[in-house]
Amino acid sequence: MTSRRQFVKLMAASGGAFVLGIRFSFADDRPSALAPSAWLRMEPDGSILIKVGKCEIGQGVRTSLPMILAEELDADFDDVRIETASPGPDFRSLGTGGSGSIMRTWAPLRQAGAAARTMLVAAAAQRWGVLPESCSTKASRVNHAASNRSLAYRELLADAAKQPVPAEPKLKKPSEFTLIGTPRARFDGPDIVTGKAVYGYDVRLPGMLYAVVARPPVLGSKAAAFDATETMKIPGVKKVVETRRGIAVVANGTWAAIRGRDALKVTWSESPHASFSSDGEVAELETLSESPGVTIRKKGAGRRAIEGSAKTLNATYHYPWAAHAAIEPVNSTAVVKDDSCEIWSPTQTPNGVQALAVQLLELPESAVKVNVILAGGGFGRRLGVDYDLEALEVAREMKGTPVHLVWTREDDMRHGFFQAPSVHRLAAGIDGAGKVVAWEHREVSIPHNARRPAPALDDLKDPAKAIGNAWGVYDTPYGWQSEEMSYTGVHSPTLIGPWRSVFSPSSVFARECFVDEVAAVLRRDEIDLRLEMLGVNDPEMPRSFEIDGDLVERDRMVRVIELVRQKARWGTWHAKGRAWGFAASYFHTGTYVAHAVNVSLKAKPRAGELPFTVHRVIAGVDCGIVVNPDGVAQQVESGILWGLSSMKNRITFQKGSVVEGSYDDFPVAMIEETPPVIETHIVRWNAERPNGVGEPVIDTVPPAVANAISKLAGKRVRRLPVTAADLT
Amino acid sequence: MARVQLTINGTAKTIDADPEMPLLWVLRDLLGMTGTKYGCGAGLCGSCTILEGDSPVRACQVPLSAAAGNSYTTIEGLSKDGLHPIQKAWLEEQVSQCGYCQPGMILEVRALLKSKPSPTNAEIDGALADHVCRCGSYPRIRKAARLAARLGGGR
Repeated sequence: MTSRRQFVKLMAASGGAFVLGIRFSFADDRPSALAPSAWLRMEPDGSILIKVGKCEIGQGVRTSLPMILAEELDADFDDVRIETASPGPDFRSLGTGGSGSIMRTWAPLRQAGAAARTMLVAAAAQRWGVLPESCSTKASRVNHAASNRSLAYRELLADAAKQPVPAEPKLKKPSEFTLIGTPRARFDGPDIVTGKAVYGYDVRLPGMLYAVVARPPVLGSKAAAFDATETMKIPGVKKVVETRRGIAVVANGTWAAIRGRDALKVTWSESPHASFSSDGEVAELETLSESPGVTIRKKGAGRRAIEGSAKTLNATYHYPWAAHAAIEPVNSTAVVKDDSCEIWSPTQTPNGVQALAVQLLELPESAVKVNVILAGGGFGRRLGVDYDLEALEVAREMKGTPVHLVWTREDDMRHGFFQAPSVHRLAAGIDGAGKVVAWEHREVSIPHNARRPAPALDDLKDPAKAIGNAWGVYDTPYGWQSEEMSYTGVHSPTLIGPWRSVFSPSSVFARECFVDEVAAVLRRDEIDLRLEMLGVNDPEMPRSFEIDGDLVERDRMVRVIELVRQKARWGTWHAKGRAWGFAASYFHTGTYVAHAVNVSLKAKPRAGELPFTVHRVIAGVDCGIVVNPDGVAQQVESGILWGLSSMKNRITFQKGSVVEGSYDDFPVAMIEETPPVIETHIVRWNAERPNGVGEPVIDTVPPAVANAISKLAGKRVRRLPVTAADLT
Repeated sequence: MARVQLTINGTAKTIDADPEMPLLWVLRDLLGMTGTKYGCGAGLCGSCTILEGDSPVRACQVPLSAAAGNSYTTIEGLSKDGLHPIQKAWLEEQVSQCGYCQPGMILEVRALLKSKPSPTNAEIDGALADHVCRCGSYPRIRKAARLAARLGGGR
């Protein structure tokens, strides 16, 4: 079907990474449909099929992205049906991460909707013999007010398909939006609550077999030898397959595969990391933090200005390894045939999965079909293709048979890649008048190394390369007369990769806690101090600055802080035994967030429980244009719980192995720890474009809470997770 | 291998399988009913919660042999049309983010409302205390559970 269509590339957006395919449909085998681009197909029955060009991992893209196209199309949103795009010539950038789904598809989706609308209007105008400019559109209809005529889109499809596809259709002004900015229910809601929604773990294919893999428990170890005699005796076990990472057991069901793996006897090779411990590695990071790293931002005399200040303050903060712990463990299903391959993956990188199969199986891209399946959470873990590789390796050995390769919870907890641990050393210089005049922030961490080869440490001595590892350090919105931010990258045998908010959470935790420490010493209100460091009364401080391609607008940060201060009635009410905490941050996609939280300490926290109670959260967000405000609210709520989870768990290593294995020793925030009052305030202003929200909203939660509990405990919290012992 | 008879969503089933196989895998792999989710396999997350009679149980913790003669309700059997008051409440409050844990949450709330048609907030939290939602949809789960009670979700 596709081969009969003429295919032209209309435009490249987002730095050339994204290509919008435009198809002329007049020579189509279904001439009554209108499919002016790969994004859209309008059927004679009135249904409007919109392709979703990002992966649904719970962030709501299957609802918000179609809204963008439907807005410019002036479609009745009830007519819209959706389908997730698969990698191919039309869709080369389906990767989902960096809170960028809306930002990066905004332009092409608007173009696609506006192009189709222009064609429909032209067709109606021709039929009526009127000027297109005299027609209007609304709710899947073209109207001509002067003659009181109206045609439904579905009546115009064949004629519209004969119109040229406009290369630069007229887009709406944001003030003309009627769908964007209104709360919309999730498309997937009804399937989720009835159990019909199919996640990767739920893929079922005729003749499918199930596989689990025994992986080396110690970092850097490999299977030296194995004995599958007992495994093959387990009823249902079909085969044992060696993969690059471990030994796979293939069976006719998940249970038999797991039991087969339990019965497997594997001899693991000696590893140079057999004595590795997280405590040891953290000590190394701490030692390195005693010296400044590669300078990535500097002003005035830099850190030297601190030594000469009337008063100096410093503190060191620690952030641990952390797992994604998405509720659906990673998995992938594949069938490999002689000349083709099909994969069903709950992935965040469909094109990456396709490229992997192309390379591994030496097949042309056109022979590899990737079906992007709903994911039970992503948080960056599904940007890895390691589990797809395992599925493909096993499926290649089981030629023609679909293989459903699943990870158990323990596999997922121990063999993923982790949020990087880091040490942050901060220092401030204060002049005789009590003004903060100098600031230093050193970060020492492990750069992403989950995709081999790991970055060379020499590369990280280049400030241009180091800077991208230090979000929340180099782009702090505050400014001082003298400032110096630096980064030191360290190699590690532990696997590190993208996690929700990537490099920001540790930096923002350290920075926003240290701001409070300075405020406490100066006996200043912590919000006042932040506003002062944003230069609200300083004519010398630029209102915006560019760094590493980011534009940091200080007045947007000020506006969010002021909003939260007002909504929290900051400084005007206090309950006994409780304290308020505050934190604010800029996220490198152009989003500004602040949190005020009201917290008390728990008298007798149970094991595995947060040692404090968060009673009230006031959140403020400026993420530019908001497509689905209910989606933003969900993300803000999600960010609070994610932030609280990061205050109660961590991943540790002993003797080269991950200690934690499930939700008992890696506990996440639970319903009883959920703040009863959550207010989300979205800054509404005349924004030109949308920014991301899924990640930015987590960063300020832990420092806001830490700032509150530090007041209550009378000692500073400088380390995550927070235990009851830290507060007494 | 064992032959076990049990009832799922009102339909009698005969299962020939390893008696130790958890009901979770019986449902998902043998019966193709994937609405009951695997999250941890250790009874910690609640994603596989189903009803044994009116009581919530974690399907990963029930070996097939222990299920003999029992009657179970899974998310597929909660309503014929997806319009049980709890399901309606869940949609009204737009609870789900990724949604993976929600079938277990919904069935736990069904069991709660059956025994306590008008639960307090603390009782709602208590019933769901051991259910993991990594997306953090708890604020809306609370609201939806309260709405479900008002809509008669316990009947």
